[in-house]
Amino acid sequence: MTQAGPAATATDIRFDRVGVRYPNGAVGLEEVTLDIPAGEMAIVVGLSGAGKSTLIRSINGLVPISSGQITVGGRPVAGQSGRRLRDLRSDVGMVFQSFNLARRTTVLNNVLMGRLHATATWRSLIGAWKADDVELAMQALERVEIVGKAYAKAGELSGGQQQRVAIARALAQRPKVILADEPVASLDPPTSHVVMRDLRRINEELGITVVVNLHFLDLAREYGRRLVGMRAGRVVFDGDGAHADESVFRDIYGRSLTAEDVLDAPVRP
Amino acid sequence: MTTVAPAPTTRPVRPRNAWKAWLTLAIVAGITVWTGFAIGVDIPGLIRNAGNGLANLIALTQPEYGFVGETLSWLAETVQMAVIATAIASVLGLPISFLASRATNPSRPFMLAVRAVMNVVRAIPDLLYAAVLVSVVGVGALSGTMALTLFNLAIVVKLVSEALDAVDVGGQEAALAGGATWPQADRAAVLPEILPAFASQVLYTFELNIRASTVIGLVGAGGLGLLIDRVRTFYHYHELSLIILEILVLVLVLETVSSWLRRRLTG
Repeated sequence: MTQAGPAATATDIRFDRVGVRYPNGAVGLEEVTLDIPAGEMAIVVGLSGAGKSTLIRSINGLVPISSGQITVGGRPVAGQSGRRLRDLRSDVGMVFQSFNLARRTTVLNNVLMGRLHATATWRSLIGAWKADDVELAMQALERVEIVGKAYAKAGELSGGQQQRVAIARALAQRPKVILADEPVASLDPPTSHVVMRDLRRINEELGITVVVNLHFLDLAREYGRRLVGMRAGRVVFDGDGAHADESVFRDIYGRSLTAEDVLDAPVRP
Repeated sequence: MTTVAPAPTTRPVRPRNAWKAWLTLAIVAGITVWTGFAIGVDIPGLIRNAGNGLANLIALTQPEYGFVGETLSWLAETVQMAVIATAIASVLGLPISFLASRATNPSRPFMLAVRAVMNVVRAIPDLLYAAVLVSVVGVGALSGTMALTLFNLAIVVKLVSEALDAVDVGGQEAALAGGATWPQADRAAVLPEILPAFASQVLYTFELNIRASTVIGLVGAGGLGLLIDRVRTFYHYHELSLIILEILVLVLVLETVSSWLRRRLTG
């Protein structure tokens, strides 16, 4: 268990007619059927409120589904709790828009949070991490090229660095799936590319299934071989990013593209 | 500034609600006068008998400095009681605070039960704890320390759980999403965020203790208060004056140090 090498096996994600209805009556997802094969990098695009976040957060049970079934590596997500839910979640790393780091503690301690699922309660309460887990965390930091900051306070890092720490935390879980919920929405364009390249490298080198939410279409097309377009809680496009033309995006966004939908300088006038 | 083209709307009429302020003032004044009569405030009587108190007041402005030697051991006991009570209450209060905050305790009924118990603990005044404990444990510093500990526990849990309610739970969400249990996520992701606030509240509690520990001595619970009670009973106002001066100096010094430390912690 010492090397932070490739996770055991990649895992597929299946949505079967999934619906999510929030307690306030709002519809999160409607009849979503989706099959993300093991080892794929899928990018979910859509306007805010289209259900991208709900889709991603339902995969690890952060958002409970109201109907249908989601399976991760053949295991159903709905209705799990306690030990079984934690087991499932330990296979699924997550990266958040606002990084979600504990800002006042060290980068290393943040990455070690990815090992909590494999750590005895008494060890985590007194902070007595196993040497193997510390080694694993250091290797995860090396993979995102930020190991030099291991003992810095997380809150003192720049946004891009913090997001890479968050990716290292997800990697430290030795996950089979990584979910990234708008991972570049709080970052500037060059940093966004660094983070997206990190995610792509993790997908290609470790074979981890990666699902990313993005708002920006040019980024989505650049990094996503598989593109999932969402609108009003439904999947309205599912296919190769290279084949998604202007009309497809009009379909997803319900209007023509504007400069606000692309990250870098406008791709077309 | 020509770009701003406001919608053509009429200006609102200034609302006339000054009468509300006058009504509030009249009600407050009425209540004050009524309570004054109810408890029998007798201002002419106060003026007639002013001479009696004057001699005592003059004595209180003339400390008997020769008395210092006798007070030192009591002064030390007051500080010791405050330190021990703060330490015990902080160690017990930290985990209870996590149970009493909706941000860190996933079970709402459990959280509300903890809060209810702590509300009862906080509702009882420190002087009452001291009086009861003196009759159970006996006169001296032990009963005083126990009384202060209960009093402190209630304060620490109240203040720290409120700080926890306002904490950024992003790290906790990430830890839970990675398969951690709630206690693990709270310890790893929330505790580091709350530590400066916790240390600051502990220091504040310690400040309160110095003052509180002089008062609870009056009912026999050890410390300077016990000495105050003794000299007061024998009308030794010059000595009482010195003790009050000592308390003033002690409180000022400790509060200065403590507030400086707290500024550094939370700044």
